[in-house]
Amino acid sequence: MGYVLTTKQANEIFAELSTQYRLFAPKTFGNEGRYSDTGCVRYGEVTCVEDITFDKKSEYSFKEAILPVMQTLFYFTEREVTEPKVDDKKTMIFLRSCDIHAVKRLDEMYYKNGPKDYYYSLLRDNVKFVLIGCEQSFENCFCVSMGTNTTDHYDFSFCKAHDTYEINLKNTEFISLFEKVNASVMEVKVPFVTENDVKVQIPDGLKAKVTSSTIWDEYDSRCIACGRCNFVCPTCTCFTMQDMYYTDNGKVGERRRVWASCMVDGFTDVAGGGSYRKNYGQRMRFKLLHKVYDFKQRNGFHMCIGCGRCDDVCPEYISFSNCINKLPEALKEVDQL
Amino acid sequence: MDINTKKLKKNAFRVTKVRGYTASRIRVPGGHLDVKFLPKIQEIADKFGNGTIHITSRQGFEIPGIPFEKMPEVNLALQSLIEGLEINQDAMNEGYPAAGTRNITACIGNKVCPFACYQTTAFAKRIEKAVFPHDLHFKVALTGCPNDCAKVRMHDFGIMGMTLPQLDPSRCIDCKACVNACKKKSVGALKTENYRPVRNEEKCIGCGECVLNCPNMAWTRSEEKYYRLTLLGRTGKKNPRLGEDFIKWVDEDSIIKIILNTYKYVTAYIDPRAPGGKEHIGYIVDRTGFDEFKKWAMEGVNLPKAAEVTDRIYWSGIKY
Amino acid sequence: MIKNDYIPFSSKILEVIKHTEIEFTFRMEYTADAKPGQFFEVSMPKYGEAPISISGIGENFVDLTIRKVGKVTDEVFEHYTGESLFLRGPYGNGFDVLDYESKEVIVVAGGTGLSPVRGVVEYFYNNPDKCESMTLISGFKSPDDILFSADLEKWKENMEVILTVDSAEEGSRYKTGLVTTYIPKLQIKDKNNVAVVVVGPPAMMRFSVKAFLDLGIAEENIWISQERKMCCGLGKCGHCKIGDVYVCLDGPVFNYVKGKELID
Repeated sequence: MGYVLTTKQANEIFAELSTQYRLFAPKTFGNEGRYSDTGCVRYGEVTCVEDITFDKKSEYSFKEAILPVMQTLFYFTEREVTEPKVDDKKTMIFLRSCDIHAVKRLDEMYYKNGPKDYYYSLLRDNVKFVLIGCEQSFENCFCVSMGTNTTDHYDFSFCKAHDTYEINLKNTEFISLFEKVNASVMEVKVPFVTENDVKVQIPDGLKAKVTSSTIWDEYDSRCIACGRCNFVCPTCTCFTMQDMYYTDNGKVGERRRVWASCMVDGFTDVAGGGSYRKNYGQRMRFKLLHKVYDFKQRNGFHMCIGCGRCDDVCPEYISFSNCINKLPEALKEVDQL
Repeated sequence: MDINTKKLKKNAFRVTKVRGYTASRIRVPGGHLDVKFLPKIQEIADKFGNGTIHITSRQGFEIPGIPFEKMPEVNLALQSLIEGLEINQDAMNEGYPAAGTRNITACIGNKVCPFACYQTTAFAKRIEKAVFPHDLHFKVALTGCPNDCAKVRMHDFGIMGMTLPQLDPSRCIDCKACVNACKKKSVGALKTENYRPVRNEEKCIGCGECVLNCPNMAWTRSEEKYYRLTLLGRTGKKNPRLGEDFIKWVDEDSIIKIILNTYKYVTAYIDPRAPGGKEHIGYIVDRTGFDEFKKWAMEGVNLPKAAEVTDRIYWSGIKY
Repeated sequence: MIKNDYIPFSSKILEVIKHTEIEFTFRMEYTADAKPGQFFEVSMPKYGEAPISISGIGENFVDLTIRKVGKVTDEVFEHYTGESLFLRGPYGNGFDVLDYESKEVIVVAGGTGLSPVRGVVEYFYNNPDKCESMTLISGFKSPDDILFSADLEKWKENMEVILTVDSAEEGSRYKTGLVTTYIPKLQIKDKNNVAVVVVGPPAMMRFSVKAFLDLGIAEENIWISQERKMCCGLGKCGHCKIGDVYVCLDGPVFNYVKGKELID
């Protein structure tokens, strides 16, 4: 079912939704770019349609809405632990097709890999997804290659068309929302990208043996191990535990989990000084094979969704997609060994 | 040949080693200009000079080899440049009205450079508008960050961009990129405490390395732009020295006010017998004492809350 | 409602056994199931958690042998006079002694690697009829680093125990040399009926496994235990992932057929 909304009607709907949901969407943070006098598009809470940035790719993904950068697991005293109180407001996330595919990856990790994750479920179980269509591909996108350019898994779509907003409703639970504002009913087709400039081809016979290829070596010096690629990635799920204390004697505090990056020093450090993958090229290899090889071995589909955010953000202009396209060469190399 | 050298100097020409020939200096506030002005410069050099130009150490152009008698024609030709580069002028077609206060120089700033904390050229132009024309020998330079590529500490007024870094602890993942960058590239004002960076406010120079290196945008820049104002550095034969910090975390308006106040101070205290009416401000301050200078300079200045003013400055430098 | 696996439980310290200056065994009150080779996340509020493998299992306790090498374990040592520690677990697959039954069992342990396999050795010590033979090669850096010396003495009763130190002062009563020196000398009756368990530092494991392969022991008859940064123990945090394997879920014990594929 489709609707077309005026800005006024859209904002009435936003007001209505805001009573039950935290509306999480890509927005422009005017002065918060890395460089002076630059902005940044990333996710944040919105209250009206004008808050949403439709025409740019967000630098960071939606994932922080269901997988916060930092999450308190519990508060502790010497003798007991207490869980934090949970905000019972539900979350509605405005996101693109590729990112909806990313949700499936997060679910795979947090619902299925090992026991179901308690804290993830608290947030994730109450999320509604609103699809933002893509009129055209952005720079570095390779969603078509990864098969994430289209989706049916959303509650309704919300696309900006000049001065109106077009809605394709999937979840009938929201019918009244649109009827209430007398939205004009119309056939609406969600725009999906059908071609990207960037294309990748993950070789069929990919195997763990490519680890010993020399294609990774150039990243030893090119990569600076900053982890930006992991933090902007909508499918990176790793975290580290932190015990934060409030008092000098450390008897009262909280345990948190915070995002972690397999590219950043310390990721594999074990007590006593051991660590693995000291070379940055090997970290690149570990990350890349996780995204386009071993995650699939374990779970049946690739982790990477082809959003290209890692390429967008890399200060050293390292292209993940370009590295994927070196895999056939790497395979040939290791097969000759 | 009868030439008033005092007058021609004020008109931004100079007496050169070649008798009968002068050179014209074109000021480019902030050191950045549209290429549409270049053909005119070329034309003047071709038509009146010897077909060469010198890119000056103060980011202007100097056209050498101009016969003195061509000065009025050169002034006419300069008019479009003076207007195009928005240089204040008393009367049209008479060239530059003064030369004492030198071109306001600037590094490339945040037009291009990732480190820069502001638009250096824009601020340079604002200062130019406020202070020029003036015959007093003032040198002002702006640089985008504490790297000081513009060498502002060798000027009377050195302006260094700063940003007051803002931490959103909820975005910090304790990767220590900021702490390491600050230690290795800057002043080591950050340390980790309880998995979060803690900024030593006294030490921090506002360079923004923490913001640049933060992979998760936990550090961002302050909405307000801040500056470090350094005072009375100079080159020269007598006692060259680096400018010392006067105010840290100062704003644009205060800087302009302080510079304008200093013109009044110098007018009141300059040595009337100074050769060529030219005396570095520093030597005047050496004479009146810093407190007197500060009294004049800070007249009517409303500093931002964050500003830290140095009580008394002691300069070092080379003494022969 | 989903179970919150992150909340630790408080466990009483029943006894502290001091092995060396930096290695203590904490006997913790615990009654549920546990297997040798599994691990607990031991937490010290303020300092965080550390994965500690189970070195012994009793009816109402588990033994956790802790080496003082990190900030968490330092704190555990400082505060063991307190009566309890917070624990989560047990996690991981552990050793399945059934795989080794009725075979010539050879356990090679390097340093603290003896902790996770201690339960395996104990099992065959208590049930000697369940294996064809039992051999333990246990190596330590120096005589001062030896763990479980009472056990090592006791085990000699019904199995071959080769206790060796990398180096010792002259006249020492200990054998010297790396564990790998003793592998080729082992008397193996039927190399197709052997179960080898190797646990220790990465280099020691690599060379030990190679020595067994050289003896003609098949890969499927060798088991190793991998130590990695195990942060959540729940297959979520990603720190212990190697290839398509999560050490905390799928390991830390791996049959060498899988284990050899694990490239960090």
